[in-house]
Amino acid sequence: MLELDHLTRRFGDKVAVAHASLQIQDGEMVGIIGRSGAGKSTLLRLINRLIEPSEGRIIADGRDVTALAGAELRAWRARTAMIFQQFNLVSRLDVLTNVLTGRLNRMSGPRVLLKMFTQAERALAVRALDRLGLAEVALNRADALSGGQQQRVAIARALMQEPRILLADEPIASLDPLNAKIVMDALADINRRDGITVLTNLHTLDTARAYCRRIIGMSNGRIVFDGAPEDLTEPAVRAIYGEHGAEQIDERITSTSLAGANMPALAR
Amino acid sequence: MSDTTIRLDTITAADIAATRARLPAAFGAPLRSRALRWTVGLLALSYLLYLHWLFDFDRVFTNLPRVWVIVRLMVDWSQFAEWDHAELLRSMAETVAMAYLGTTLAALVAVPLGFLGARNVIPSRVFRFLTRRIFDGCRGLDQLIWALVFVRAVGLGPIAGVLAIFVADLGVLAKMFAEAIETTERKQLDGVQATGASRIAALRYAVLPQVLPVMISQTLYQIESNSREATILGLVGAGGIGLRLSERIQINAWDQVAYIIVLIMITVALIDSLSKALRIRLIRGA
Repeated sequence: MLELDHLTRRFGDKVAVAHASLQIQDGEMVGIIGRSGAGKSTLLRLINRLIEPSEGRIIADGRDVTALAGAELRAWRARTAMIFQQFNLVSRLDVLTNVLTGRLNRMSGPRVLLKMFTQAERALAVRALDRLGLAEVALNRADALSGGQQQRVAIARALMQEPRILLADEPIASLDPLNAKIVMDALADINRRDGITVLTNLHTLDTARAYCRRIIGMSNGRIVFDGAPEDLTEPAVRAIYGEHGAEQIDERITSTSLAGANMPALAR
Repeated sequence: MSDTTIRLDTITAADIAATRARLPAAFGAPLRSRALRWTVGLLALSYLLYLHWLFDFDRVFTNLPRVWVIVRLMVDWSQFAEWDHAELLRSMAETVAMAYLGTTLAALVAVPLGFLGARNVIPSRVFRFLTRRIFDGCRGLDQLIWALVFVRAVGLGPIAGVLAIFVADLGVLAKMFAEAIETTERKQLDGVQATGASRIAALRYAVLPQVLPVMISQTLYQIESNSREATILGLVGAGGIGLRLSERIQINAWDQVAYIIVLIMITVALIDSLSKALRIRLIRGA
């Protein structure tokens, strides 16, 4: 179980995340929604400890993660894999090596520097790519791939970390609707079949409704909604996006319809 | 359906064999290219060892005592009060002035030349080819060679150094400016030209603002690097602290040589941090 206890982050005098308290059970798929600047990205980065909290604690399975440092902190990052809006792959490395970087946390010095991955690690990387339908591009350079493919490589890299939690920061915001669906399906599949907790920021309400059984709404750094998609009523949406955003919201609900009650699972 | 769990402990020898059969390249380069890589590596290493032998590298170690004598002379600054400080400091300032003057002049002339050498400004390939070759001509010879030429032409002293820096840097800066101009955004130029502005006006208002910060920061960097290199110009008679340095080396005044080296290091460090601070401000502000 992942627990946030009054987690707060200030940048100067601006509060990005304010006293966020949450409990997330193992195996949940949670969507985080809110306007840009509401603190969604900061929240995910706080959990991965890419950003240090100003106040509050992160507790995973009873252990205080906020206190970790050095090797223990890196091990925590390995267990909470992260994927990004801009994919954040190493463009000059081939796809396979990008995926293999998911193992770096468990490898020792000389093996890391000399790129000496074991045969089992290589086979696992191919299996991860296979699962995302990308084995045939394993030896291409990462930047030769389309955006949708790159995001799937990033997911394969995350899987290689054998994570307990997968944090996805706007994973589909840079993708066209078809690729967005493929990526969201992959995340749902990982959540269902591998039992990995998925926490994802989403900028469209309908995607959150379609894929997540629990939705968290943020506004000005605060958590203003936490419940099932059915509970996300008109007033609740207004509380998240604000009065002024009302027209945009209508568009958000109806646009880029990724919705569909029964999403087919990823092929195979 | 194969196992799709992504856990390392689920990988069996059979999995590895199967994956290897399907995608051999995922398991490293093929044997032949690996053998080639090793061969090339070994050849490079043996050539290195051969050169070591050829250049009689052991001399470094057999002559080490002599180096020690020089080092001991260098750290003895007991005569400090009697050195000609005024002359040394003036020469140091002269070196910095040479770098500053030469680079600034070069930058000013390089701006129009840069435009003439940019593909998006001058579409004519022949004309561009000529301007680019002129840049190459200036760059092709090292500053030091230019200094030798100008010392013969205008005599010993800082003017020869300024000219050497000017000519060599003109080539470098004009080429860098031209390349910066070529990477500017077409859209902004289109926007200004669509208003009916002349070609020159459009370049001035749409292209120059895009490249000006780059130009200034490159010029600052050149001033910084030239104040280091201007020292060497002095060694061939082109004025400045280098001239003093070579005089002191010839008369074995190693204590003063060490002092001059310290002076140079302090000056270069000062210019370094000054130009770095300026560049950071420029890049942020622009």
